[in-house]
Amino acid sequence: MPDLSLEAVRVSFPGLAAPALDIPALHVAAGTRLAVTGPSGAGKTTLINLIVGLTRPDSGRIAWGETDLASLGEGRRDRFRAAHVGLVMQNFHLFAGLSALDNVLLPARFWSLRLDPALKARALALLERVGVRRPRQKVETLSRGEMQRVAVARAVLMRPDVLVADEPTASLDAEAGDAVAGLLCALAREQHATLIVVTHDARLVARMARHLTLVDGRIVADVPVARADGAAEAAQ
Amino acid sequence: MIPLGFILADLRRLWLGALAIVLLIALATALGMAVQLQERALRLGSARAADRFDIVVGAAGSETQLVLSAVFLQAAPLPLMDGSVLKALAEDPRVAYAAPVGFGDSFEGQPIVGTIAAFAREAGGGALSEGQVFDALDEAVVGARVPLALGGVIKPMHGLPGEGGHTHSEIAYRVVGRMAPTGTPWDRAILVPIEAVWRLHGMGDAHAWPRRVEGEAEHAHGLGGDSDHLGSPWPQATPGVPAVIVKARTIADAYRLRAQYRKPPTLAVFPAEVLVRLYGTLGDARLLLGGIALGAQALVIVAVMLVSAVHLAQRRAQIAALRALGAPRRAIFALVWSEVMALVGAGAMLGAGLGFLAARMVATQLTRQSGIVLPVEFAPEDLVFLALLLGVAALAAMVPAVMAYRQPATIGLSA
Repeated sequence: MPDLSLEAVRVSFPGLAAPALDIPALHVAAGTRLAVTGPSGAGKTTLINLIVGLTRPDSGRIAWGETDLASLGEGRRDRFRAAHVGLVMQNFHLFAGLSALDNVLLPARFWSLRLDPALKARALALLERVGVRRPRQKVETLSRGEMQRVAVARAVLMRPDVLVADEPTASLDAEAGDAVAGLLCALAREQHATLIVVTHDARLVARMARHLTLVDGRIVADVPVARADGAAEAAQ
Repeated sequence: MIPLGFILADLRRLWLGALAIVLLIALATALGMAVQLQERALRLGSARAADRFDIVVGAAGSETQLVLSAVFLQAAPLPLMDGSVLKALAEDPRVAYAAPVGFGDSFEGQPIVGTIAAFAREAGGGALSEGQVFDALDEAVVGARVPLALGGVIKPMHGLPGEGGHTHSEIAYRVVGRMAPTGTPWDRAILVPIEAVWRLHGMGDAHAWPRRVEGEAEHAHGLGGDSDHLGSPWPQATPGVPAVIVKARTIADAYRLRAQYRKPPTLAVFPAEVLVRLYGTLGDARLLLGGIALGAQALVIVAVMLVSAVHLAQRRAQIAALRALGAPRRAIFALVWSEVMALVGAGAMLGAGLGFLAARMVATQLTRQSGIVLPVEFAPEDLVFLALLLGVAALAAMVPAVMAYRQPATIGLSA
């Protein structure tokens, strides 16, 4: 289970003078629960796109252990992401017309034609674990809270080393959001995965161990969560 | 790679657009298919219709018109040929039979053809399906599709089918026999003794019209000697005929006869050779129609590509999400390509069926009008056509697939 380290990472967008992201150094130890907050446009999404290998920085190193994502081609980064990263997004991105179970199994199906029966059993167990009672139900008929829980099950199916969640509770009510936040932390701990959460949700931040604050593409605060409440309030 | 269930769910979700694309492709395919099937049916049908006609001899003029009129009974005036030709042919030892065909009258849109009794049997495939051949001037044998029963009465109308004209009041034919169906224009013909046609038009000996009134005892003998005699041997002063259909005894005889009568003032043709030339023309028309159909298909394929490109823009978020979830780029390519191909494939299959139905409907209509049975059937070249269409579509589907493949994937696009 590798650590994440960023070195001299810069990302600029055409037409913008200031870099969208400028991180001289960042180290996240394996198994850390990290919250990333900041106003919109601060570079949070840019940061996650980089650490899951969806985009590459203009310069710098983004290393998971010995693997430098900044130096890998698109195909290698796809393979890395499929093997090591579980992703939960604000809008769930479940696929209508498929059952909850088929949605959970979808990422596995991209890589092999024949599905390992053990994987299917694991998907069913995970759905039960996240509290989705009817795995064969079409996903569009579920409640929003259930949908995000299906997405969480999908993210951990392939035993990722890192779980990345982009505003996982932002489109849920407080109760459903709490349930999803609890599941993310519990599953990350059970799978021994690093958990990186981009969020505005103070209650979700409170469940994390470390709190990173980005403003204008720079890290302005990086504190343990025990003292993060005050920092979060200061930022607002 | 991309699970089938995902593609199906996707197409189900977008069913309205998918249906529109399938129908568009189906219609374009049907157009091309129908042209191809119809042309082949026309070729097969006309070749079969000309099968029984060895040599057609007529007055010098257009070979094509001679065949169209004598074999396909197309209504058009032919120049008359001197009656001595008929007499000479009938008495030629190389000839099995020489049947005159004389036109000029019709009955309710069906051509009345003057000929000899032997040909009435021959034109119907060698046997009658009911009744007997004509044996008197006022008897007629009808084709299989003529809506008259035995004993029915035919009052000839002067003029070819479709032309206006006066009704001949001098004679009414009585149906005495019906030919077996042949799938040729002769199924719609009414065959009567050529002598009756001659007389009706005042040709040959201007005898009084023989009366055959029931109960009139004198009818058999009271009509003036040999005027009741039908068919060969022909008299010295045989009236002119537009065409003679000749059956030779051997193939060598057929070639010799054709050579002998090719010189003016007569014309002798094998219907097949004329048909081959006609198919050449038909082929040109088919090429044109086929070109139009192909153009329609090309337009449809371009339209499909355009629609997929626009549609793809709306699916950027879905595709980005799939990539974020770990789908490799080739899976995205496969997804878009398979969806386009599924629609094109379904459209092509549906189009082949629709084209077949359309060709069948046109063929049925043509059969009703001309009597020529047109066999609409699939042939290996139709598969080649479909394979070509799918091949082009497979290439064209790469365009949106490559666009999807190259689309940068990032999360956060979705909001």
